[in-house]
Amino acid sequence: MNSLLLLNGSPRGPRSNSMKMLSRVAEGWVRAGGQAPEVLHLAQRAGFDRAVEAFSSAGAVLLGMPLYTDSMPAVVMAYIEALAPRVAVAHADGANPALGFLVQSGFPEALHSRPLERYLQKLALRLGSPYAGTIVRGGGESLQAMPDEANRRLWARLRVLGEQLARDRRFGEAELKAVAGREHFSPCQAALVKLIFKLPVVQFYWNGQLKKNGAWERRFVAPYGLAK
Amino acid sequence: MRITILNGEPEAASAFDAYLHEIAGRLAEQGHAVTTLELRELDLKGCSGCWGCWVKTPGECQKRDQSATVCREAIGAELLLLASPMTMGFTTALLKRAADQMIPLIHPYFEIEGGEAHHRARYARYPRFGLLLGAAGGSDAEDLEIATAMWARMARNMKSKLVFTAVANRSAQEVADELAAVA
Repeated sequence: MNSLLLLNGSPRGPRSNSMKMLSRVAEGWVRAGGQAPEVLHLAQRAGFDRAVEAFSSAGAVLLGMPLYTDSMPAVVMAYIEALAPRVAVAHADGANPALGFLVQSGFPEALHSRPLERYLQKLALRLGSPYAGTIVRGGGESLQAMPDEANRRLWARLRVLGEQLARDRRFGEAELKAVAGREHFSPCQAALVKLIFKLPVVQFYWNGQLKKNGAWERRFVAPYGLAK
Repeated sequence: MRITILNGEPEAASAFDAYLHEIAGRLAEQGHAVTTLELRELDLKGCSGCWGCWVKTPGECQKRDQSATVCREAIGAELLLLASPMTMGFTTALLKRAADQMIPLIHPYFEIEGGEAHHRARYARYPRFGLLLGAAGGSDAEDLEIATAMWARMARNMKSKLVFTAVANRSAQEVADELAAVA
């Protein structure tokens, strides 16, 4: 079965960084001969309900999400809770579809997403689903700020991962590593980045929005306690 | 010690709920100021990733719900106890919804801390974190380890530490005593 259920677990719904990335994986899936995927947004009630219903009949499921307070967003956890009845059939051969994941975060290093990746791998095991792997990518918020052209290499790699999913039901390790980018900073890099983070220009994305919204002067307020 | 408990149990009449209330009662008897937020009774709309709490009304969620109560009680505590039954190898979506709406407590700017990028603090002090998990069928030691790892990372991003982890397989008194000891 070359059908793919593409689930966007971003609370932002269709206009999310997760969806931008998932779309590129889907392009690769189709390029390798897969059927056009059914795309559902878990943040939308109808999409959530359909995603629960469609899970068992999908050939493969790709669930993408942003890292939210260091784990999955609540809407994704609600979806996982809704899959609990599928655990009972986990050991029936082929009862549950192959499962792949995408986790993107605003942090520049991939290490922040690794505990969630470990959880998702265990989830596939719990459901008796063949595990396709987890695409991890940092620096997600900059996708909003950058023109699409600037992300061309990333899009190309995500398409390759989509092709691998369609062909092998498994993401390739080399591509996963390339997409993940920096795992962590070396001590020298950390010292350098510490200085760089102090430059106002680095915060241009947030500062621009704070100023546009007339909130710049209030950016350090602490309404529930003593400010730092 | 000021202790805030976020109760992520969706069912009011469960054994875990009764157990948690017993722990809260024992802590209060010992003289601690305990506030328990029954998350299932709060109107929490969930984070929609609008970043309004970072770039429009800094430090405050723009949703008209009770997430401000969660933020106020969390930052006002010395110990924040996250309590939840285990479900599908993790804590409940209900607890996660409350946690997701705690991002106004930190600042969008990044800084380097311990060699990693983390969010800048908004507050002068943050509560230490504790985790109390209901022992559920179908969860194993690895699930506990993974759940603990994810919440420990959240504590770190909230400029804090996870200082206590327990599974609900010991007496309420024992858990209350241990919690009091981390004060």
